[in-house]
Amino acid sequence: MKEKSLKKLKIIKTIDELFENEEITLNKNISFHHHLRNGDYVINYVLQKYIDEEVQNINLFPSAIFPNYKTILTLIKNRQINNITTNYLNGDVAKYISTHGLKGKLKMQTHGGRARAIKEGKNYLDIAFIAAPYVNLKGDAVGYLGKTRCGSLGYAIPDSLYAKIKVLVTDNLVDEVINNPEIKGENIDYILLMDKIGDRAGIVSGTTQITTNPLGVKIARNTSLLLAELGLIKNGFSFQSGAGGISLRVTKDIKEIMINKKIKASFFSGGITKYHVEMLEENLVEKLYDVQCFDLEAIDSLAKNKNHLPISASKYASPLNSERVIKDLDIVILGATEIDYDFNVNVTTDSHQTIIGGSGGHSDTASEAKVTVIVSPLIKGRIPIIKKRVTTITTLGKNIDCLVTERGIAINPLRKDLIKQLKNTNLKILSIKELAEIAYHFTNIPKDITKRDKIIGEVEDRTYEIIDYLYQK
Amino acid sequence: MKVSAGSLESSDCLITLSPSKELKITIESSVFDQFGDQIHEVILETLKANNLFEIAVVCLDKGALDYTIKARMETAIKRMRENNE
Amino acid sequence: MSRSYLFIPGNTPAMIQNLDVFDSDAIIIDLEDSVNAFDKDAARSLIENFLTKYAFDEIKIYIRINSVDSNYFYSDVNQTADLAIAGYVLPKASVKAIKQLNQVSNKKIIPIIESPMALLRVEEIAKQQNVIALLFGAEDYTKELKIKRTLEGTEILYARSIIAIAANAYKLDAIDTPYTSKDDEEGLKTDALNAKNLGFNAKALIHPNQVAVINEIFAPSKTEIAEAKRIIKKSEETKQGAFSLDGKMIDLPIIEKAKKVLEKAKKYHL
Repeated sequence: MKEKSLKKLKIIKTIDELFENEEITLNKNISFHHHLRNGDYVINYVLQKYIDEEVQNINLFPSAIFPNYKTILTLIKNRQINNITTNYLNGDVAKYISTHGLKGKLKMQTHGGRARAIKEGKNYLDIAFIAAPYVNLKGDAVGYLGKTRCGSLGYAIPDSLYAKIKVLVTDNLVDEVINNPEIKGENIDYILLMDKIGDRAGIVSGTTQITTNPLGVKIARNTSLLLAELGLIKNGFSFQSGAGGISLRVTKDIKEIMINKKIKASFFSGGITKYHVEMLEENLVEKLYDVQCFDLEAIDSLAKNKNHLPISASKYASPLNSERVIKDLDIVILGATEIDYDFNVNVTTDSHQTIIGGSGGHSDTASEAKVTVIVSPLIKGRIPIIKKRVTTITTLGKNIDCLVTERGIAINPLRKDLIKQLKNTNLKILSIKELAEIAYHFTNIPKDITKRDKIIGEVEDRTYEIIDYLYQK
Repeated sequence: MKVSAGSLESSDCLITLSPSKELKITIESSVFDQFGDQIHEVILETLKANNLFEIAVVCLDKGALDYTIKARMETAIKRMRENNE
Repeated sequence: MSRSYLFIPGNTPAMIQNLDVFDSDAIIIDLEDSVNAFDKDAARSLIENFLTKYAFDEIKIYIRINSVDSNYFYSDVNQTADLAIAGYVLPKASVKAIKQLNQVSNKKIIPIIESPMALLRVEEIAKQQNVIALLFGAEDYTKELKIKRTLEGTEILYARSIIAIAANAYKLDAIDTPYTSKDDEEGLKTDALNAKNLGFNAKALIHPNQVAVINEIFAPSKTEIAEAKRIIKKSEETKQGAFSLDGKMIDLPIIEKAKKVLEKAKKYHL
């Protein structure tokens, strides 16, 4: 943490000026956040300069990589990048790394683990580029105001505190006081002005609609029945769901139970959508702890609802933070591309070994929530999601409690307490192997095509333990 | 003369048969790596059961299960035989 | 005893291989309206292969074959003759058509009453051999009468009533017509209750998302189940043919009805 510096906050109009003011070649570790998601203009603008100046040996620390961050692919192909450390990536960059690897290695972290690593210096950041929709002359910033507002800036906060050089990038510089800034100006070195830092339409991820697919509807219903039977839906409970269509349907089903039984939740955390906002405004939940906004309604809610609070990645999930929100999380609903007999879950690669994601908050929340439920169809495009061993471990099996599919529910044998509670249930509970057999009965056993010859990266859990490797496909 | 059965909808496959000097099976599938061999086996078994060897089979697969591949093959064969009458 | 009869298109693998997932008590695999003329053969083969390979204990599977006047009737029956299904659903049913089907098959039959003539002859139809239920097809019926189908259902009130009465008189199940606005859950509830209140004990459906509502409406309620339990308990205690409970006279027919309620409750895990 810097003491109050005598250095004055510089306002610059082009990235060239930064290159003039700083020794870029001595500051190779650079970071970005992904709160503008697929509508981000900052990353491409900044990295284009790195491409043009042929800067070598870059180590990139983006909190996530979305398909339109095309300059990253160019830098990789130009061999200008050594290592990438991130929590989630998909699109062409992910595809390319899956087939070619990097000059260095790809390190996958978790949202909470990244915050921790930045604070402890394990992720040492030279320059943090922080897209900020609303900035004042002091360098204070929030993400939920301004023409290109994107909501919570949670993942950027550790960068703003611990990077050596901090650059806010904005298209909305104001001469106003900002109350409760997410980013504090005393930490900032530069404000870089751009015409437009992003396109708001690109913020909305493709998966934030409630599913109406009959299989998804059934999975969601059985999940809410399971949670109710386990006695988890009661006054003051806390809940988090991923942004997938089935997870959102679970949220909807739980809402109905809450309305019928007059239950109010204490908080919802994680990625916030309009569905969560509706429940806040209908007084079904006390607080929303927002580390990321998934749609435009959530962004506007941040600005107007006082119980909708932006939180930093550290406050959300860092193991170092004794006040982290997820330590009080009762239920988390998550997805999976694969799950194995030991309940290890994969959300990093698909069945063809292509990188399609990463933990994000998956491993963090699964580690701390009282009950972790994976919701998924049993079979996707003829591929059973249950395998003997997942292609990539994103979240360790000991942290996964239940799998709910359209053909049955499996409970982790480690959770003898849950198994006991469900002794007389009408729900269809099977062992994970029995569920796998049902799948194979329809699909036949797929050939295992996982290649494990060349390591291209590693999966680092929030404990810093390397729980798996990434291999070239 | 080509004959087809099935569709390109999810979980289905499109089988196209045409006369050929020798047996030829071509498979295009979203799950070729995991199930290519299995799909080949089902097609071959169905041809054998119908005594067909001078035939070219093209299978465009969208994750069809074995029973679907067999059914589409049988329908294509039936249509081919009806055409030849 | 089935509450729900879900129609699924017979040439769509994605639906067929999930037929047990939808939680419908009964499935009607359709070879008629949802299958193109040029794919009738493909559908037959698909269903034959699927049902030969996979068996389902809990669910009742029916096949809606094409009408006896179509070009497909005999192929449909021949190719499905050996399949372990619960029966055929016969569209455009008439006494003659049922007799024709019984000549080439001994499977159970659910005739669809979907024309004014069929409605006039419903009692005759109910008497035919192998008939186990009557299914009301309001879409075709109202089309023939050139009237509009409404949620209120006044235009089909008589048709529903007579079908429910005939079914009851001949100890058949009465299955109501599907509700075709698949996204309108409130409308579905209203339509289903209208049918239930006239004596129907099941409803056909055209979309899996309708199953939960139908199953709930046509299942005995918690109150009914509780009362049935009390009746059976008292009947076992008193060992008398008739007795009084809460000031009401309980005799054999009521005891039988209570037993059926508990049977249903057990089957549906209530």
